[in-house]
Amino acid sequence: MSSVRPEPIEQPAFDPLGGVLAVLFPGAGHWYQGEVQRALIIAGGVLGLFVGGLLIGGIDVVDSRQDRLWFLGEVMVGPVALGVDYYHQHALKGRDPNTGQVRGALPNEIRDPNGVLLPAPPGSLPPMTKSLGKMNEIGTLYCTMAGFLNLIVIIDAAFPSPRRKGKA
Amino acid sequence: MLPAWPISLVVAWRPFLDPLNLHAWWWMLLVPLSFGIAVTYRATRVATFEGFWLKAVILTVQIVLSMFLLGIASYLFIQVAVPYLMPMPG
Repeated sequence: MSSVRPEPIEQPAFDPLGGVLAVLFPGAGHWYQGEVQRALIIAGGVLGLFVGGLLIGGIDVVDSRQDRLWFLGEVMVGPVALGVDYYHQHALKGRDPNTGQVRGALPNEIRDPNGVLLPAPPGSLPPMTKSLGKMNEIGTLYCTMAGFLNLIVIIDAAFPSPRRKGKA
Repeated sequence: MLPAWPISLVVAWRPFLDPLNLHAWWWMLLVPLSFGIAVTYRATRVATFEGFWLKAVILTVQIVLSMFLLGIASYLFIQVAVPYLMPMPG
């Protein structure tokens, strides 16, 4: 019995620029390699999961200070994750007026323009709400899975796999 | 019985700043998670995009069923196997 082996498609063994572009933005490496449809689907998948996680758990799920281990997975999404974390740390968290510690606002606190947490006047909301329980877990899982998937994408862009015709 | 959709789900909810109030429905969120994983992973594997979405849906179903079966296996291990192997006195 003979089996027909699918022919490998010619691709370079190592593409450093493709890998760097994939690190900078999900799918950019494949776009650079001329695989536009693949790049669009990858960008949609990775960013869809990341944004979905933010939508489910709020921006609290990306936190390099309080959830460092999870952030190590999330940061593999690239500069997008770093930007979200920077905004979270510098625009939403504030300094405790008593201890000077940087932390999220409590439900009865607001953040003044200088970044100090103060008691909230009636009717005002904190800059963000800390997510708890399942919503935090699922949102964190979405963002971390987006990071790990983008690691696969980065490796695939830097070391293009010999994709075989007719086999997925 | 599933709980009704809470009105607080949409009232005063600020997207990306506040978490969704879907604690009773958390398990439903595993389906779009599986779909996102399937789409992205498949996109790195396929040679051509012929029948791509069908393959992604099939992988989604496989992931969801696998998690379901793993859940059952974990339940049986904790609730049946462990008490059988190591019965608690009293």
